[in-house]
Amino acid sequence: MSCNTPESKPDWKAYVLRELNPDAYREAEAHLATCSICHEEVATLRLTLDTLSTLREEEMPRRIAFVSDKVFEPRWWQRVFSPSFAAGLLVAGAIVVHGSMRPGQAQVDAAVTKALSQVEARHTQEMQVMFEQLDIRDRQVRNYYVTNAALIRH
Amino acid sequence: MIFREVEDPDLIAKARRGDVEAYNLLVSRWEKRVYNYLLRLVSNREDALDVSQDVFLKAYQSLPKLDDPARFSGWLFRIAHNEAFSLLRRKRPETELAGEPRPADLNPRLLPMELSLAVETALGRLSADQREAVLLKVYQGFKFDEMAEILECPVSTVKSRLYTALDLLKTSLAPMHKETAR
Repeated sequence: MSCNTPESKPDWKAYVLRELNPDAYREAEAHLATCSICHEEVATLRLTLDTLSTLREEEMPRRIAFVSDKVFEPRWWQRVFSPSFAAGLLVAGAIVVHGSMRPGQAQVDAAVTKALSQVEARHTQEMQVMFEQLDIRDRQVRNYYVTNAALIRH
Repeated sequence: MIFREVEDPDLIAKARRGDVEAYNLLVSRWEKRVYNYLLRLVSNREDALDVSQDVFLKAYQSLPKLDDPARFSGWLFRIAHNEAFSLLRRKRPETELAGEPRPADLNPRLLPMELSLAVETALGRLSADQREAVLLKVYQGFKFDEMAEILECPVSTVKSRLYTALDLLKTSLAPMHKETAR
C-alpha cells in the first residue's frame, strides 16, 4: 500500500517526536505497517533525530557563581533568624558562658586562701576556748589547795 | 530511576524564603542545560556563560512571580529565551536573526566528534527561531504547548518552525546518515 494524498498521511514529525495522542498514534502505527513510502519517510526522520542526538553537550567553562555573589547573600536579620545560624550562635554562646563561668588559677588560689584562713580562724577560736577552760580549771585547782591548806593550818 | 532527595518545588519554596543554598542547588541542577541551550543559540561560549549568569540572577529575583513551581523549567527557559534574543538583537540589530553557515565541510566518513561538529554546523544554518525550536524539542524535551509558552507564540507557529527546521536538517544531515546508521 502507498499513500499519495497528503491529507490522509499521519503527522509523521509529530509521530517521531512523540506528540501524537494515543488514538492518533495507533492509527499512525497501523498506516505505517502497510505504507512503504511513509515507512521510508519515518525512517529518514528517525535517522535525522539520531544524527542530531550525536551533538555533544558541553561542560560549563566555570560554574555559575552565586555563593560568593553579594546580591544573593541574605540580609543580617535573615542570617540571625535562620535555624542553622541560630543553632551555631547558641553553641558559641554556650561555650563563651561556660568559659566565663569556669574558675581561673587566680580564682582558685583566692578560694584556697580564703578557706585556709577560715580553718585557721576556727582553730584559733577553739584553742582560745581550750585555754580559757584550762585557765578556769587551774584556778579551781589552786583554790582547792589554798582552801585545804587553810583548813590544815587551823 | 534516580530518586531526588529534594524536589525542585521544595527548593523553590525555600529559595523564596531567602535560602540561598536551596537556590544554589537549583542552579547546579539546571545550569548545564541552560548553558548548552544558550550556547547553541548565541554560538559563543563567553556570551552563553554571561547570559546563563543573567538568567539565574533574573530567575532568583523573579521567583516570587512564579505562580506554579511545577512549571519551573518552562519558566526558566522562557527567561533564557528572552535574554538570548535580547543579546542577539543587540549584536545584530538590523539583520534578520538567521544563523550563519559555519565553515566546516561535511565529511562522509566522520568520527563521533566530527559528527557532532557537523550537527552543530547544520544547526548553525537554521534561523535562530528554527534552531531554538529544535533545541527546545529535541535537546530539552519540551512538549509543543510548553514550547508555545516559552516562546510566547501559538502551537501552530512552534510546529511550523520545528517542521521546517527538521526538513532542512534532514537534507543537510543526509550525508551523515550512513555514518550514523553504521
